[in-house]
Amino acid sequence: MMLGGHSTDPEQFGTPIHAVSEVSGLICDLLDDVRLHQIWVRGEVTNYRDHTSGHRYFSLSERDGRTSALLNCVMWRTYTSALAFEPKDGMDVLAWGSVEVYEPHGRYQFIVREMLPAGLGERHLMVEHWKQELDAEGLFAPERRRPLPLFPQRIGVVTSPTGAAVKDILSVISRRYPAEVVLSPTAVQGDGAHIEIAEAIRRIDGLVDVIIVGRGGGSFEDLFPFNHPDVVRAIAACRTPVISAVGHEVDTALCDFAADLRAPTPSAAAERAVPERREVLRELAGFEERMQALLRSRLAASQNEVEDLRGRMHPRRLARRINERMQRLAEHEELLRRAALARVQRERSALAEARANLEGKNPLAILDRGYCIVEAGGRIARSVGDLGPGDHVVLKMKDGRAKAVVEETSYDRDV
Amino acid sequence: MTETFEEMLEELRRIVRRLEDGETSLEESIAIYERGALLVKQCEDLLGTAEMKLTELGRDR
Repeated sequence: MMLGGHSTDPEQFGTPIHAVSEVSGLICDLLDDVRLHQIWVRGEVTNYRDHTSGHRYFSLSERDGRTSALLNCVMWRTYTSALAFEPKDGMDVLAWGSVEVYEPHGRYQFIVREMLPAGLGERHLMVEHWKQELDAEGLFAPERRRPLPLFPQRIGVVTSPTGAAVKDILSVISRRYPAEVVLSPTAVQGDGAHIEIAEAIRRIDGLVDVIIVGRGGGSFEDLFPFNHPDVVRAIAACRTPVISAVGHEVDTALCDFAADLRAPTPSAAAERAVPERREVLRELAGFEERMQALLRSRLAASQNEVEDLRGRMHPRRLARRINERMQRLAEHEELLRRAALARVQRERSALAEARANLEGKNPLAILDRGYCIVEAGGRIARSVGDLGPGDHVVLKMKDGRAKAVVEETSYDRDV
Repeated sequence: MTETFEEMLEELRRIVRRLEDGETSLEESIAIYERGALLVKQCEDLLGTAEMKLTELGRDR
């Protein structure tokens, strides 16, 4: 619209007149639509220019019979470093970005953040989709992860029997620890590899103490089967702990998230699977030393105890104790002797008394006092009745006897 | 199946603890030391003699 002068008449032929910035602003507003932001666009690359500044300018076009469409694109230098391929004219690609207006040039363009070859891009999208799905199923929950056994006897390896991974794993394990490696062979790439891998995992589950699932480095396409839900689910279902070792360092596959441990490489997985024999031996030697030291100190303590007891049982000490006992024994003996003596004395005086008593009762004692005993016919005459005139009697005196004849008898009074 | 080595190691740890605590009698100390020394030997034998073996599972189910 080229009108003479740039007067900003409010109106021309009854229609309002807008400033350029106004119209441009309006277009900006119109294009500020969620449907044009953060979207994937598929198209063919045309007019590809690798600018000296490092920014990439190109178009995405679509031709369908007679109709065609074209979208101008720019990919800033900061994002190009992440490009996994070198785009060329004619390539079918998927581009991720937003439509924006560049007002100074009056152009709208698609600002590309990420770009992938179409087939690959679709696979990326598929992996994203699977990831969300499997995550929603809870297969990636960290609390599902189990500890690995410390001293496994059998290590299962699910990988290609001809690949580098199995060689690396074998060399690491044979160097570190005497374990049995059980290989569950499978193809690791190509169509249907995911089915084989899942089968190989199920086949070895429960036969070993820990399973390493993996392969060496490769392209996204090569590693793709390890993203497949069949493989992820097979790992999640394992009774045996699983170490995932897919590709190299930076590579990740969905099976990493379902495994009990993710290792950056197959060699690293082998290192995590078994302990280092020398370290274990060193630990064992440490145990032995410690036990010996403990036993030695225990023995030394016992020895000291015995020494101490022996000291306390020294002969001189013992002699003194014996003397003490002898002394006490002697004292007791003396007491006993005295007691016995006193008893004998008592008995003796009792005996003398008894004798005196007895002597007082001696019938012959009376003879001393001038009495005599009359015996007639061998019997003691106690009464004149025992005697009659003319009886021969014997008079027993103190110092002998005399024969006499009774002349007459009389009683002192009538009886 | 892996428990044997771990069990032996665990028993060794218990033995060391019992040797450390003064409650254990001398006779017992000697007895458990002998047991410990035997365990160390067995563990070492296990680590020393066994070599890595490789078995391959058949693919047929």
